[in-house]
Amino acid sequence: MQCRRVLGILILGMTIASAGDVTGKVAFAGTPPKGSPLQMTADPVCKKAHTKPVTGEDVVVNKNGTLRNVIVYVKSGLKGSFTAPKDKLVFDQMGCLYTPHVLSLMVGQELEVRNSDATLHNVHSLSKANPQFNNAQPMKGMKMTKTFAKEETFKVKCEVHPWMGAYIGVFNHPYHAVTGDDGSFTIKGLPAGEYTIEAWHEKYGTKTATVKVDASGKATVDFSYKS
Amino acid sequence: MTSYFDKRTQTPVETRKYVHFYVAFSGLLFLGTVWSLWDEVVSRRPWKDYQTEYNDLLAAKYDSLALDAQASVDSAAVSQATEAVASARAALSAEEYVTTNERKTDLLEELEIATREWRFARSRSDAAYYQYKKDLAEGKDATSSKAELDGHDADIAKWFESRNNLEREIAGFDLILEKYTTAVQKAEVELRALLGAVAGYQAKAEKQRQSPIAIHQVVKNDYEFTPFQEVKARVDRCQTCHLGWREELMTDAPQPHSKHPAPELLAQHNPETFGCTPCHRGQGPALTPGFAHGDEDHYWETPLLRGNDVYASCNGCHYNETRLKFAKPYVKAKQVVIESGCYGCHEIKGFSDLPKIGPPLYSITAKATPEWIYRWVRNPRDYSPHTRMPNFRFSDEQAEAVTAYLVSASRTSEFTLERPRGSYAGGSPSEGKRLFEAVGCQACHVTAGFTTVRDVRGTSYDIAPELSRVGSKVNADWLFDWLKNPRHYNADSRMPSLRLSDQEARNVVAYVMTMKDERALDKFSVALDDPDRIARGDKLIREYGCAGCHLIKGMENEGKVSVELSDFGRKKAEQMDFGDTKPIQAHGEQEYLANDDGTVSVQHTWRGWIYGKLKNARLFQTERIAQKMPVFEFSDEEIKLVRMFLISMTRDIPLPAHQRAYDKRFQDIEGGRRVSMRYNCQQCHILEDEGGYVLAKYEEAALGPPPIPETQGAKVQEQWLHAFFKNPTTIRPWLKIRMPTFQFNEEEIGKLQKYFLGMAHQDMVIRDYASVQPETDYLRPGRQLFDTYQCAKCHPSGPVSGEGAADLAPNLAMASSRLKPEWISGWLLDPQRLQPGTRMPQFFFDGQGPDESVLNGDANEQIRALQTYVWSLGRRSGTPIADR
Repeated sequence: MQCRRVLGILILGMTIASAGDVTGKVAFAGTPPKGSPLQMTADPVCKKAHTKPVTGEDVVVNKNGTLRNVIVYVKSGLKGSFTAPKDKLVFDQMGCLYTPHVLSLMVGQELEVRNSDATLHNVHSLSKANPQFNNAQPMKGMKMTKTFAKEETFKVKCEVHPWMGAYIGVFNHPYHAVTGDDGSFTIKGLPAGEYTIEAWHEKYGTKTATVKVDASGKATVDFSYKS
Repeated sequence: MTSYFDKRTQTPVETRKYVHFYVAFSGLLFLGTVWSLWDEVVSRRPWKDYQTEYNDLLAAKYDSLALDAQASVDSAAVSQATEAVASARAALSAEEYVTTNERKTDLLEELEIATREWRFARSRSDAAYYQYKKDLAEGKDATSSKAELDGHDADIAKWFESRNNLEREIAGFDLILEKYTTAVQKAEVELRALLGAVAGYQAKAEKQRQSPIAIHQVVKNDYEFTPFQEVKARVDRCQTCHLGWREELMTDAPQPHSKHPAPELLAQHNPETFGCTPCHRGQGPALTPGFAHGDEDHYWETPLLRGNDVYASCNGCHYNETRLKFAKPYVKAKQVVIESGCYGCHEIKGFSDLPKIGPPLYSITAKATPEWIYRWVRNPRDYSPHTRMPNFRFSDEQAEAVTAYLVSASRTSEFTLERPRGSYAGGSPSEGKRLFEAVGCQACHVTAGFTTVRDVRGTSYDIAPELSRVGSKVNADWLFDWLKNPRHYNADSRMPSLRLSDQEARNVVAYVMTMKDERALDKFSVALDDPDRIARGDKLIREYGCAGCHLIKGMENEGKVSVELSDFGRKKAEQMDFGDTKPIQAHGEQEYLANDDGTVSVQHTWRGWIYGKLKNARLFQTERIAQKMPVFEFSDEEIKLVRMFLISMTRDIPLPAHQRAYDKRFQDIEGGRRVSMRYNCQQCHILEDEGGYVLAKYEEAALGPPPIPETQGAKVQEQWLHAFFKNPTTIRPWLKIRMPTFQFNEEEIGKLQKYFLGMAHQDMVIRDYASVQPETDYLRPGRQLFDTYQCAKCHPSGPVSGEGAADLAPNLAMASSRLKPEWISGWLLDPQRLQPGTRMPQFFFDGQGPDESVLNGDANEQIRALQTYVWSLGRRSGTPIADR
């Protein structure tokens, strides 16, 4: 029995030693579509929250010509099962916008949904694999915690404020990331092996690439979308 | 050479020996016995092997589960617990325990003696008492008997006392002993808890291996009638081989061991009492696969039903139901039979009261030209490839005669347009197109550019005429009249009125008339008023049974032209004529094969005949045998469904005790289903988990027609629903599609109402909702919550000025005249449960409302307050909601 435990630690140690990070950028070519300003006149609370006009977040191209809000994740090649990270993610409703606009988390990982606005919001998940929910948060500062049992990427919307929409990617494993304001992503701690990596964007769809993570533990993969 | 027998005859009878015969015959007898034993025990008992195999298979599964459980056990904890058990057991040999135990044993012996003496003393006392009483009664001196009695009573008290003392002492020892025994028990329980799952699986595996090999049979007494109308029982032994029918672990096991794939059906038809053959057929008492399934028994009339064919058995008890939740193929088969109008020509039990599926042909010339009628009669699918009208394969001459009759009958019609000719003029095709696409025409009618609803519905035929070429069929005057009021032309039409204004109708006419048949067709020039031709048409129409589907002048009372199908499933392949077709392998996958030489091969079985007939109704026609059944264009799936339905057409019905009870509620529901089926409610609404085909048109379900949940009857007030069916009003102004006016009659409305109420488990009660007063105590908190929860963000609650932000949800001023008050509470508690996908969010979780300052945040109280306030809204304003 003792032997087995030692062996287990050894194997675990070896996997950690041969785990690597996959990094990359999501480039964008062409002219980005001009976002139309969101009409928030319907709710004075929303209108007051912004001094400048707000544009939709469906396509956000960064200053360095990269695409924001792309989920990059391991599509296939993983073996075994994984436990959900303990840390909670926050999904906020602020200024009648969802922050973040796109997020990714693991099956079973907790998501805290907050309302930071003094107006009625509801979070309606248009999920298919997971049961749909449609919960109201009529008061500022309200919180609720959600977890998801199945892998899928789905839209979340607010019925009261039709311009509000966000996307949540749920995965069976912890190897996923969302591109930020420099269009880069890092998938950490991937065991050595060959993987199919997929990038997903709400408007431009998916792109796939294969990557080999070797014992040295570093790999790069870039994606590019066209307008 | 003289034979052995000749020699024997020469031997005197007295000296003849019989020993050879005895030896030979006893040898034969011995062998025969051995053979019969072997045959009885080994060769004819495949079920024994199956049971052994099953037991081994299941035991192996338990073993592997035990191994899995073992792997997840914490071994350190187990060894610790084992040690604890050992030390607790060792403590049992400690001095205190041993001596106490010995002393307890001694005391128990003493107690036994004391108890015995106490009992004896009581008996003696009884005897003395009798003597004493006897002396008294006889007037003798009772002193001595009294003294004896007293002596015995003193003994009783003495021994009783001694018993009590002993019991007390023993109880004291027990306390000491228990200390040791409970320690052992506790340690053992802990060990068992650690190994619990493992031991449990091991025990199950062991039990499975030991389980006896036996025949499992179900006997259903008084199950059915024999063909001679005698009551007979049914015996099923299927579960002797199919042991794993309810074993979760055997889900993926091979046959005959696998789990039944439809446990939801077994919940209704428990195989332990209902058996298997009522649904699956086969030979219940047989114990070898070939005979039990009936494949090897050529004379067994009801062999096993395979695949979807098993659903045919539903019909035995459920023949008068059109929707069975767990028998989708059966429901679909019935739908195809009803929608294809099979009952127009064939008598089918349970289908006699259905309306004709085709339109009346009384005034056909008011709608279409003789030229179009001729082409339609000649080949309907040429004009409309998905029509339900089958092809009679008339010759040109026959089609001309039929047309002549229809046109001449139509000339005497009294139908006149409601508005003067030309009233349709002045419409805008583009505006008409917008309306056509918005108000809901596409929920039933397919056009060249929009086939979504047909595709979603998944049938080979359309439920309403395709309109891609309709501009070349109808005339604009008729169309205008039709759109304004469909029942004017056809009093029984299922086409509803969309409440189009004159101008809207003109626009739609203008658009629809642009959809023309662009093909170049031959000119049609035939003298239609030739009396001979008309007479020939009359004869043909009667012969081919056109009146089965259409109302035709002078033929309203024609009988059905073809055979009755109510017992068709009992027909034998030997009774069927396969014409010039060639046989292909019976019971194989291949059902239909068009050969290179122009002939067709089908299986020469009952099923094969049906397949061929439904694929091509004229398939078995020969030079000598003419056939009249028109050709349908069923898909392969539909053919198989209709065939399954025909398999069900037997008179083998279990006795009423084995059937489901058709109570009033069921009759209400079924009555409503038929109305909903007739008017195709499911094209738009999801009803009983089916339908909503038009929803495919919308990006989001909330933008299409709302579903009708099972709770609908509990939702809306009876009076309101009645008024709504009579004259639909706008509830959801954000929807472009309109609920049409179906011109239901009172009977139909009553049926629909009872249908909704029945599904919601409610009865029709006339209730005065206007007298339901809001609870005044709850009005103020209700108002406060209404504001805090910002209900008005989506729900308007008074007259609406126009399209605004508050146009997202129904107007709450309608609530008190539309909704049932109890329903409002249920809706507020969990809207998604009542209507999955609704835009209404849930506000209350875990018995709490978001605002804890009102009514202590208690969800039920807050809901009561909100309901009260909502109920008061329409009543207070007193403003009628404008119909849109």
